[in-house]
Amino acid sequence: MPIIEIKDLNVHFGENHALKNVTMSLDKNQITAIIGPSGCGKSTYIRCINRMNDLIPGCKVEGEIVVDGSNIYAKDVDPVDIRKKIGMVFQKPNPFPKSIFENVAYAPKIHGLVQKDGKSKKATKNELEETVEWSLRRAALWEEVKDRLGKSAYTLSGGQQQRLCIARALAIKPEIILFDEPCSALDPIATAKIEDLLIDLKKDYTVVIVTHNMQQAARVSDKTAYFYIGELIEYGITEQIFEKPTKELTEKYITGRMG
Amino acid sequence: MNRRNREAMFFNLFRVCALIVVLALVVILGYVLINGIGKWSIDFFTQDPRPNVHGALVEGGILGPLVGTIYLMLLVMVIAIPVGVLGSVFLQEYFGGTRIGRIWWMVVNNLAGVPSIVWGLLGVALLVYYLNFGLSLIAAAVTLSLLVLPLIMVATKEAVEAVPSSLREASIALGATKWQTVRHHILPYSTSGILTGIILSISRAGGETAPILLTGVAVNASIPGALGDQFQALPYYIYLMTQTTDRTQAYAMAYGASLVLIALIVGLNLVAIIMRNRYREKYRW
Repeated sequence: MPIIEIKDLNVHFGENHALKNVTMSLDKNQITAIIGPSGCGKSTYIRCINRMNDLIPGCKVEGEIVVDGSNIYAKDVDPVDIRKKIGMVFQKPNPFPKSIFENVAYAPKIHGLVQKDGKSKKATKNELEETVEWSLRRAALWEEVKDRLGKSAYTLSGGQQQRLCIARALAIKPEIILFDEPCSALDPIATAKIEDLLIDLKKDYTVVIVTHNMQQAARVSDKTAYFYIGELIEYGITEQIFEKPTKELTEKYITGRMG
Repeated sequence: MNRRNREAMFFNLFRVCALIVVLALVVILGYVLINGIGKWSIDFFTQDPRPNVHGALVEGGILGPLVGTIYLMLLVMVIAIPVGVLGSVFLQEYFGGTRIGRIWWMVVNNLAGVPSIVWGLLGVALLVYYLNFGLSLIAAAVTLSLLVLPLIMVATKEAVEAVPSSLREASIALGATKWQTVRHHILPYSTSGILTGIILSISRAGGETAPILLTGVAVNASIPGALGDQFQALPYYIYLMTQTTDRTQAYAMAYGASLVLIALIVGLNLVAIIMRNRYREKYRW
């Protein structure tokens, strides 16, 4: 079942036409991997889904991205509301220079907690602590940090920091989580942990991951999309893309003859 | 000359330059200290300047000028810090990277180089007469605030720019508004840099003579009780002392007052360093 439907998405940065007529739909509770050589528009693409591109001066987005039945690029939509529902994890771990607890508690603190009736209210101290513990457990970090929640996030290793960033994103209780090359700054062991976590998260969340690492895409994703110079070249079931790509460009890339 | 000798030569050249800088500082500070410290006494700090038999204000102390300068510094802080810091953050975070933003910063950078006497002229023409502030503490404080605004803004800009954009993105991606991002992240993380700019600016405001000369400082004014009153100030007092015929006594007073001014600025800097280190310790990435 599709949760995100992208229709005729075009992105311009000034003169540069970064994404060209991208149309695709992403399935709920699946991991969709976005692959392609540098500069192909992968990051631009994923940043459209939570409207992060709005921050870049001179960026123009055309087309529709329908999430849960409503177009997030409609005129009356506040991008801040979109970002409350869609989590994002970045290339380099970017925890706030605050304590581990403060990092995870930040979003619930500013947004309040969503109640059963869909309204949010200010979180009590107890509820905040619960949310932080829940998020850290979900990000498989709790056991490692439960005794030092007050310590600075920068006392953690790179892999732990990235899982902290995942926990921080989970604390907003999103439906969709976007990962923009989450392992590119991590060693293989930390990478393996994140990959296990991704597969585990899929039960409850829809995951979109941009990756440079084709093995990673093959290992974790259900579907894979291949981008080349702003165009969606091929999109389908991961095994099929890697074993029997239909387009020559895709084959060239995954066999390592290009990119 | 081989490479090693050449290196030694340049190293020695640098050494001499560094020595000149340090020596100049030590000589100036030492000279002021030696000549000024003898004047420091309870009376020096608790009495107003009094005229001697010839009418020169070389007797008494520096209470009036000292209090006037402290008032000026406080007022400049109250006016220039919020305007400068918030203005700079606004320009940077909301207009950063756009054409308007760049033009705006060009203006600010140029304003930072405008000579202080020009600000004084603006102050007297615009504030004192056109806006009817009169020669007053507030006219001088506003003039000095305008003078230091570009300094505060540039320092704030640099501090804000030093915050990695990845942290900005992290906050925005969590659904924080721009203002929440500024308030919860950008400002706290850049506080140490902003503080440096503020202290520099306040020190500068405390030491300026030309602008206050035109906008409200007065010989032997009493300690101001209202913003519309005239006032005395240390730099102007020092200037007056050097214009007096009775040199021996007047210069001694001038050195004493200079030492107070320097101590004030060093004190401010110490406070800034302590605060800066605390913030740096707190927010490190």
